[in-house]
Amino acid sequence: MLITLLQAQTPPANLSYLFAAFVVSWLVFFAYTFFIARRQRDLERRMRELSQPRQSPDSGPAR
Amino acid sequence: MGYLRQQGLGQGLVALGGLLMLVNLYLVFLVAPTDAVLGDVQRVFYFHVPLAVLSFLAFFFVFIASLGFLARRTPAWDHLAHAAGEVGVVLVTLALLTGVIWARPVWGVWWTWEPRLTTTLILWLIYVAYLMVRAYAPNPARGAVYAAVVGVVGFVDVPIVYYSVQWWRSIHPSPVVGPLAEAGALEPVMLAILLFSLLTFLVLFLHLLLLRASLHRVEAWVKEQDPRGSPAPFPAN
Repeated sequence: MLITLLQAQTPPANLSYLFAAFVVSWLVFFAYTFFIARRQRDLERRMRELSQPRQSPDSGPAR
Repeated sequence: MGYLRQQGLGQGLVALGGLLMLVNLYLVFLVAPTDAVLGDVQRVFYFHVPLAVLSFLAFFFVFIASLGFLARRTPAWDHLAHAAGEVGVVLVTLALLTGVIWARPVWGVWWTWEPRLTTTLILWLIYVAYLMVRAYAPNPARGAVYAAVVGVVGFVDVPIVYYSVQWWRSIHPSPVVGPLAEAGALEPVMLAILLFSLLTFLVLFLHLLLLRASLHRVEAWVKEQDPRGSPAPFPAN
């Protein structure tokens, strides 16, 4: 009887839901960070390409 | 020079945000008392609430920057609005996901069409549409104008989300921050940890916002310079 009463007063931990919420949060956050990092790398590559003098005669003078 | 200064600021914000997040995790898991009714799962609250509050802040930035862009047609306003819209969508997505996971053990369902959840889902759809308008507009300049209009009109939903728990019968708890928060609604320790968590996420939010806005600026410049790329959103005069 005493054990039953103690169990009734203790709130359920639900640790699996707590774990799932934090895992999902960090996964979405890291996915977004990865997306930004890839975008930044692509831009840096394009900037390097643009900074090189152009070979084609019809492309006009390099800036 | 400005770019280098911004990079330095960004690195500073990352370092500060990382440090604050470590302290925040310690506070959330080891210092915050266990909720007497909900148990340990209530600790989701220290992530869920700051994510929702900062998504409102992000959409407020979209609103202000969109007004600025419509008034002045300056690319800097558009870059800020675009960055805030994107970061805001990430934040509100996380607020929805953490809310859904928290709802299951507390309410017994993953989702229910009650006012707070429904208006938040509408908010998410509005700002996903905001990003899609930009992506699928016939040209970037027109897309920026259309998006600015959506950014201004769409902000109407933010106060509706906040006040929904007061205006309609809702099973969602009342706000614990802002004008609707009741004094003593939270234990002082819980409130202090919540505010610390809010500060931590604010630092990370500012870092992501500045980084995204600067990337949009560089992206526009690259498109302007690159003859093979798509047309620049704002052609040089």
